[in-house]
Amino acid sequence: MAYGIAKGILSGDVLPVNVKVSAPSPRNFGRFEELGISVTHFNSDVVSGSDLVFVAVKPHLVPEILREISQLVTQKHIIVSVAAGVTLATLELLLPKDSVILRLMPNLPCLLLEGALLFSRGSSAKPEDAALLSSLLQHCGLVEEGPEAWIDVHTGLSGSGVAFVYLFAEALAEGAVKMGMPSSLAHSIAAQTIVGAGKLLRDTGKHPAQLRSDVCTPGGTTIYGLHALEQGGLRAATMSAVESATERARELGQKSAGAGNSN
Amino acid sequence: MSVGFIGAGQLTHALVRGLSAAGVLATHKITASSPDTDLPTVHGLRKLGVNVTTSNKETVSKSDVLFLAVKPHIIPFVLDEIGPEIEERHLIVSCAAGVTISSIEKKLSQYRSEPKVMRCMTNTPVVVREGATVYATGTHAQVEDGRLLEQLMASVGFCTEVEEDLIDAVTGLSGSGPAYAFLAVDALSDGGVKMGLPRRLAVRLAAQALLGAAKMLLDSEQHPGQLKDNVCSPGGATIHALHVMESGGFRSLLINAVEASCIRTRELQFLADQEQISPAAIKKTTLDKVLQQPGVTMSGGVGRAGRISIFTQSNPKSKK
Repeated sequence: MAYGIAKGILSGDVLPVNVKVSAPSPRNFGRFEELGISVTHFNSDVVSGSDLVFVAVKPHLVPEILREISQLVTQKHIIVSVAAGVTLATLELLLPKDSVILRLMPNLPCLLLEGALLFSRGSSAKPEDAALLSSLLQHCGLVEEGPEAWIDVHTGLSGSGVAFVYLFAEALAEGAVKMGMPSSLAHSIAAQTIVGAGKLLRDTGKHPAQLRSDVCTPGGTTIYGLHALEQGGLRAATMSAVESATERARELGQKSAGAGNSN
Repeated sequence: MSVGFIGAGQLTHALVRGLSAAGVLATHKITASSPDTDLPTVHGLRKLGVNVTTSNKETVSKSDVLFLAVKPHIIPFVLDEIGPEIEERHLIVSCAAGVTISSIEKKLSQYRSEPKVMRCMTNTPVVVREGATVYATGTHAQVEDGRLLEQLMASVGFCTEVEEDLIDAVTGLSGSGPAYAFLAVDALSDGGVKMGLPRRLAVRLAAQALLGAAKMLLDSEQHPGQLKDNVCSPGGATIHALHVMESGGFRSLLINAVEASCIRTRELQFLADQEQISPAAIKKTTLDKVLQQPGVTMSGGVGRAGRISIFTQSNPKSKK
């Protein structure tokens, strides 16, 4: 995730010399060094040497990392947490009072600069801080701000949504295999179909229902196929999927809020 | 190093058969105890050369590693009985589903200050040395104890250490797993029979298909989805069959099954923690014989609809 974000940032105005990354192990340093980014084992170096700091560690490590860097965080810093399920309340508890904090939820395609990113402002973060973050991230994909409550929904829709699309892609391909197409060709075509449809959906600005109708000639193949999907209850299943993933994100957020606060 | 089993039922029998086939244990050095010596598994164990006794205390005194292989609600009785006999050398390995390490340590700490306890969840295919076992280590168990158990259980299949909170999920998956497979083989054979195969051949082929697929998967780096694709020729028989399975919601049934088993395990653990078991549940075990043992008593009146307290020393500990 940090890598995807870094790539996006460098696609804008920020120079590699102004980006620093820290990690306990050198395992992933190579990719960052290739981008010209300096690497270190010391979180303190990153914090003291930066204005805006992304906290991109696994959620259960956030409390200890924040406790480690807390004394170095000043009101000039902007702290952006990318940790799933860690609430702004928890972050504000662990950092100095009045720290500027934002919470960001990216998704996997950030790696290809086709991400969907939603962020939310903490109590001391001002609109200018949000604008700065948006401009930094603009090349990572779609960047939007919203209230914190939407972050769990975003997780269900877009974080997990990526996996839902993969499931659909697999099923599309299997349908083709059943009808006589070799598997690897079916898979490439399924992938490209999704990319193409996705691009049309995003770039034409038309409602998906409209685009769907546009493809359906009367009595044609598409309407027959759609009927099978409707009979299978695909719409309801998809809504349930987003619901289920969102509820789980909320549950996990509450759990980690409890853990963070009890320390 | 000698191994003993409290309980001489299916699990003990399967473990002893597997471990002796693996050559890691000499059966004449194994002691197993059970109140009921008429069980078929007891006969089986005796045939293997195991010393089967009705005295749990004898098993304890003759063993270093002690497997608790009784039904979960019997565990507290057993712990009270053997508690005073536990010595420093003993490593207690509980195989009881849903019984937490902390509940066992709590009980045994009444008798011994730092009891070495481990908890494992295995499954019946240990009998053919293809078991799936996980274990968690208790507060006072050492690294060597974990390694010892792992060595033992690795000789009868796959074995790895886990955090205790994963054991319920393991129960749902690989603990119950063989039953899912038996169900699948049974149904697949029905399909074979329906399409004209003799039953024995159908069962043999169904089982072999599952076995072969599992081996391919374990040997391969590939995702099961990819391996599935590799079997499906375009427009062929297999993809048609898979479609039927997907239409029936096969995948979600399997997910639900694992979930149901895991949830039930947790429920049973909760019931056990309540420290109260209804007489009806106890009747299903050989409790009558257990109660005849010295040191085991029952409060509340027999034959009445009262509750049996399974802590023989009245020690109303407060619940978590």
